[in-house]
Parts: sequence; C-alpha cells; structure tokens
Amino acid sequence: MKNLYLLIKPRFFAFRNQLISSKGGKRRRIFILGGLGLAFCCGMFIVSSRVLTHFQSVEVIGDLVARYLLSMIILTFFSLLIFSHIITAVSNLYLSKDLEFCHSTPVSVEELFLSRSFYTLMDSSWMLLIFGLPVFMAYAYVYRPGAGFYFTLLHMNLAMVIIAAGAGILITMLLVYVFPAQRTKDIIMFIAILMIVALYFLFRFLRPERLANPESFFSIMEYLSALKAPQSPYLPTQWITETLWDSLTVPGGKNHMFAVTLTWVTALSMVVINVWVAQAVYIVGFSKSQEAKKRHTVGTKILDMFVRCLKKPFGENLGAIVAKDLRTFFRDNTQWSQLILLGALVVVYVYNFSVLPLDKSPIKLDFLQNELAFLNMGLAGFVLSAISARFIFTAVSAEGEAYWVISSSPLKLRQYLWGKYVYFLFPMVFLAEVLVIVTNYLLDVTRFMMFLSSITMFFMVLGIVALGIGFGALYANFKYENIAQLSVGFGGVLYMIVSSIFIAIVIVLEAGPVYILFMSDVSGKTVTAFQWFLIIASFLVVFLINTLAVFKPMKMGLKALREYEG
Amino acid sequence: MIKLIDLTKVYKGFRAVDEINIDVKAGVIFGFLGPNGAGKTTTIKMMAGIIKPTSGKIIINGIDLAEKPSAVKQYVGYIPDRPFLYEKLSGLEFLLLIAGLYRLDHTPLFNHRILELLELFDLSDWKDELIESYSHGMKQRLVMCASLLHRPRVLIVDEPMVGLDPKAARLVKGIFKEQAGNGNTIFMSTHSLEVAQEICDEIAIIKAGQIVAKGTSEALRRKAGVDGNLEHTFLKLTEGKRLAHEKSLPAH
Repeated sequence: MKNLYLLIKPRFFAFRNQLISSKGGKRRRIFILGGLGLAFCCGMFIVSSRVLTHFQSVEVIGDLVARYLLSMIILTFFSLLIFSHIITAVSNLYLSKDLEFCHSTPVSVEELFLSRSFYTLMDSSWMLLIFGLPVFMAYAYVYRPGAGFYFTLLHMNLAMVIIAAGAGILITMLLVYVFPAQRTKDIIMFIAILMIVALYFLFRFLRPERLANPESFFSIMEYLSALKAPQSPYLPTQWITETLWDSLTVPGGKNHMFAVTLTWVTALSMVVINVWVAQAVYIVGFSKSQEAKKRHTVGTKILDMFVRCLKKPFGENLGAIVAKDLRTFFRDNTQWSQLILLGALVVVYVYNFSVLPLDKSPIKLDFLQNELAFLNMGLAGFVLSAISARFIFTAVSAEGEAYWVISSSPLKLRQYLWGKYVYFLFPMVFLAEVLVIVTNYLLDVTRFMMFLSSITMFFMVLGIVALGIGFGALYANFKYENIAQLSVGFGGVLYMIVSSIFIAIVIVLEAGPVYILFMSDVSGKTVTAFQWFLIIASFLVVFLINTLAVFKPMKMGLKALREYEG
Repeated sequence: MIKLIDLTKVYKGFRAVDEINIDVKAGVIFGFLGPNGAGKTTTIKMMAGIIKPTSGKIIINGIDLAEKPSAVKQYVGYIPDRPFLYEKLSGLEFLLLIAGLYRLDHTPLFNHRILELLELFDLSDWKDELIESYSHGMKQRLVMCASLLHRPRVLIVDEPMVGLDPKAARLVKGIFKEQAGNGNTIFMSTHSLEVAQEICDEIAIIKAGQIVAKGTSEALRRKAGVDGNLEHTFLKLTEGKRLAHEKSLPAH
C-alpha cells in the first residue's frame, strides 16, 4: 500500500498549484464563485432555520415533522450521493486520460483502485458539504445540542459518504463488467438519469408540503403513518437519522452504540467488498472500456429524415452545421437522455400549478390567480434560463477541439453565432409558450393576462437565448472533459445570474402597468393620461432592455470568438 | 501565392513569432522547419485564420487575410497537426459538413469526387462508420480528404506525417507533389527532415520565433557550412556549435 499515497498525491498537488498559480481574473473568479457559494449556504441556513422554528412552534407533531424532515434529507442525500458516485466513478475508474499511464506502472490493482475510489469520493461528496452543512447547522441552531452532536454529525456523515461511495462504485464496476464495453458510459449515464427522474417524481408526487398542513389528512393516525412512510430498519440512513436525532434532542445524547457500530461496520465492509470485487473485475472492465467504439445504426433513417427537414431553412453552410449538431446530439446518449430530465422538470412544473390550494387562500381569487400568472412568467423564465444554461450556453463549446473546422472555414463567425441563435430560438419559444399557456390555463387567468404573459415570454426568450449564446461564446471552453460541467462553471453561473437579473427587471417593469390596468378593470375606473404615460414608458423600457439583452451579449460573444487563441 | 509580411504574434509579452517575412511562389512545396516551440504551429494557425496576428500581414493569392478572411479561406485547405474531429459523425457526413461550409454544390460530379477522394485515402469501407471508431491515422487521412474537397490553391499543413503508416505517408507525399505540379502551393511544417529533403522545393528554418535561414536545401547547407544531409544542416543552424548526436546521456 506504499504506492497509494503516491497515487493520491497528484490530486493534492494539482489543487495546491491551481491555488498558487491563479492570478488576476482567475483569482477573481474563485472569489466570486466562493462568495456565491457562501451566499447560497447562508440562504439555505436562514430558510431551514425558519422552517424548523415554525415546526417547533407546532405542539405535539412539531418535533415529529422535524425528525421526518431530517430522515427525508438524509435519505435524499444518500440517494444523490450514490448517483453522483456512479457517474463520477465511470470517469475516475475507467475514462480518465491518465489511467493508461497509471496502469502501465508497477502499482497493484488494489492501490490503483483505492486511489481512484478516493478521487471519486472527493469529487462526489463536496456536494453534501455545500448543501448539507447549512441544513444540519440549522438543526443545531434550533435545537441547541451539546458538542457531542457535532462529533456525531461529522463521523456519521463520513460513514454515510463511504457507504454511498462503496455502493456507487460497486454498481459501476458491475455495470461496466456486464454491459458491452463501447456502450458503458452511455448506459450508466442513462440509468443514472432515469433513477434521478424516478426519485424526483417520487419525491414530488409524495407532496411533502402536505406535512406542514395536517388539516389535509383525514385523521391524525393517517398523518402519523405518513410521517413514518420511508423508514426501514435495514437502511443505513435510518441508523444515521436515529443517532443524529437523539444527539440533537436528548441532553447528553442517548447511547446509540449499536447504530453507530452497525453504520461503521457497514462502511468498512463496503471498502473490503469493493476491493475484493475490484480484484476480480476491475482490470477486465478497464480493458473493455479501452476498446474502440462502433457505429450504431439504430434509427439512422429517421434521424436522416429529421435532419433533412430541419436543416433546409438554414441554407447550405449553416444547414451543414445544423445537421452536424442534430446528429451529434441524438447520437450522444449522454446528451439526448437529458431531455428526459427536461421532460420531468416540465411535468412537475405544470403539476405544481395543478395542486395549488387557491381556494383556501384569504386573498380574492381572481386577483390571486392573475398575480400568480404574473409571477409564473418569472418562474418560467428562470426554468428556461436553467435549461438554456445546460443546452444553449454550452452550444459553442460543444464544437470541442474540432472548432478549428469552423474557424478555418469560410463561414463568417457572425453568421455562425446567429445561426446557433436561430437554431435554439424555435424550440425555446415553443417550450416557453407551452409552459406559460398551460399553467395560465390551469390558473384560469383573464384573457388580458394570458395575452400579456405569452407576449412577454416571447420577448424574454429572445433575450434568454441570446444571453446563452453570447455568454457561451464569451466563456467558450473547447477543451472540456465533460460538457455538462461547463454550465456549472464560472461562465455558466455568471450567465444564470445575468439572465435572472434580466428576467427580474422585465417582471418588475411590467408589474406597475399590470397593476394599474388590473385595478382599473376591477374598480371600473378609467386609466388616467398620466397612468397611460407610465404604462407606455414601462413597456418601452422593457422593449429596450430586451433589445439590449439580444444584441449586446451576441456582440460580446462574437468579439471573444474572433479573438479566441486556443 | 503566399506572402507573410513582418508577421508577429505576442502572447502575454512572449514573442512566439517575431516579424517573419516569407514569400512562396505558386507551385512550390515550402517546408517550414524548426525545433519544438519555435513558432511553427502559431504561424500556421495564423495563416489558416484560426488566430489573429499581433501585427504584420498575411497575403494569400493577392488578398489580405485580415481584410477578407472568408474570401481567402475559400482558396485554402488546412490540415492541423492533431486531427480533432466531430466523433459522432460518420466519415461521409464529415465530408458533407465540409462541403456545406465551403458551399460546394451537390452535383453528381461532386458526389463522385467525394467517393474518389475516399477511395484515394483508403477510407471507402469506413465512410459510414462513426469517426470515433477511426484510428489516429484514419482520422488524419480523413482530414486530408476534407482539405482537398474544395480544390484549394493553397494547402497549409501542420506535421502531415504524424500517425501515418509508410503506405499513407508515401501516398501523401505523392499527392503533395501532384498538387504542386498542378500549380498549387503547399506550406508545410514538419519534424521529418527526410520528408522535407525529399519533397520540399524551398525551406525556412524558424528558431525562437525568427527565421534563421531560408532557401533551397542546397543553399541552407552552404549557409550552415556542413556537408551531408539536411539533419546536419538543421542541427547546426538551430543548435549552434555542437551537434545533438555528439552529446551523450549522463551516466546517472
């Protein structure tokens, strides 16, 4: 095992060197991202604390709900950790570029496997720290436990991460061993996405918000049984929840030696089992994953027909790029399968509107419906920005290292960038209008609101797409290993912030005129000349901001691409 | 056909290419030699319109690349040192993409040309396979195929022989000679001094961003004051006093 440390060391060196060598812009990026992360943690802490304080104020069931919430959080984290480890393990154990070199050195399989498992654990579990810490700290803030809680939190979370890593890596090794080598990555990504969608639906359709409203249950027994639903004494999450909850609420902590021992024995057993399995199947799997890929011909004719129809309006040179983009997208299982996630997002979005308890609201119904329709524009805009961050922001970078084909061709970069814009505009407008019209229909809003929402969304999408393409070109990265990571990098986060600000400005500017028009309609008063002036001025400013959001980022992106130096 | 006038590229204070001047006539195979990091690829990328020069001019076929990049690129075929391609396209689909970018008409004659080029580069059997299943050499041959598709008057080539087997290398040398014979110009960087000696009409040697020698291989030999092959000339001109083979590895 003397080589294990040597194999892990490069990761620490890379991290240290990055910190030392980052200067100016890069260091600024680190600070901005760090600041955003901190702000997110603070927000999570405040929201969690308020929710828990509210629960605590409810007699009898308050603590029950808080405990249930804790078990749901731990269960969710545990599931997400397993998925995250499955995806990261594929890269770290089978696809990393330096693996060939490592396998050619005289280190043992066990050492190499453990070092890569350690990388996987590090890469996958930082999420728990960022999302989990503020929530656990909120529990500590509300329940004021002793120092023992923090120790329990630390070691039980560590055990949970090891168990999840063990499970994720084990599943990955077996999948790689069983499935045909050339499809391994695709299949694993596909399975992981399906699992995430299933979990998402399961969580959403359980309607956890009902737990905060006991009146929605027929009897207290039904409510209490709902609180116990996902627990099982065989799940490590149950042992962790029990131990954490008691160290939170029982002064001095309750003796949970059995649960703690069980958790740690499971964690360490997972490590041993993984090493045994790795001895048997890791090298075979790695060897298979190095084999060349083959063409898969399934659905080629349908794709060809689809491509022919869609590329036609774009003319010869842009049409060629559209054809290339469509073929690449639908042949890359890691790309098109994300449409499933997108579909799930849209279904849950619409579902949320269908279960809104509007009739229980103390506010006048038609006012509330229209108010919600107005806010819906902002929410839909945000959803579209998130989708755009994944698919449109990465559109230019998606050329990858083959970008030289574009830059050395006679195609003008301006034409190329606007071509990408038009290519993404149509599906995005369609999606936006479907989101807004269907949810407005569920809300039963007035015709005026329906019209205003549709028009506003149309113009807003023009800006959201342009911001995506422009920022994508401005922060183009053609040397990525995983394109999905670009949307959560500095450029992607910046795009989301700018896009959110743009949406917020449009909504705020339209709020005044909408209120004036709505109130005049309700009260039967006519709109004054000054109010008309305000209305027209607001809509003019909205139009100007939209125009700016379309042309400015495209111009900046074009300039950046022209000056791109590889 | 190709004129580089005071061409300079500065990266964060480092002069990668330093005021180089080169004039290449039509029908010439021009070899661009130099040690690693001398500025060969940077010069070639500037000529292909991939990166912008800090100063200086690139004139191809009498047109300034900075003023009319699209018009110049229409005449130029570019072969990069590493064949990064769209892996999810088939070889044929990649060639059709290139045809679209260069606005080539899909006439029966053109389709015949595609098949002819695929045959020439021994890729006919692989034309419907995804590029991700190609070997390095096959990808390199596909890039060459694509670069000749629009019948360029100037071929800009960065390390053409890397990854090619002897048969493919011989084929490529033959194609370059044929292209030059037809009045087209080839500007080629290479590490292979044998290739340069065998096919290049003129050679320039670049070192630390500057041209240290230019002319036929005979003229370069005279300038270096050495006898024998181009290897001796190159090492003398780029390393100075001692030749590389005269140095020995340290014992420990």
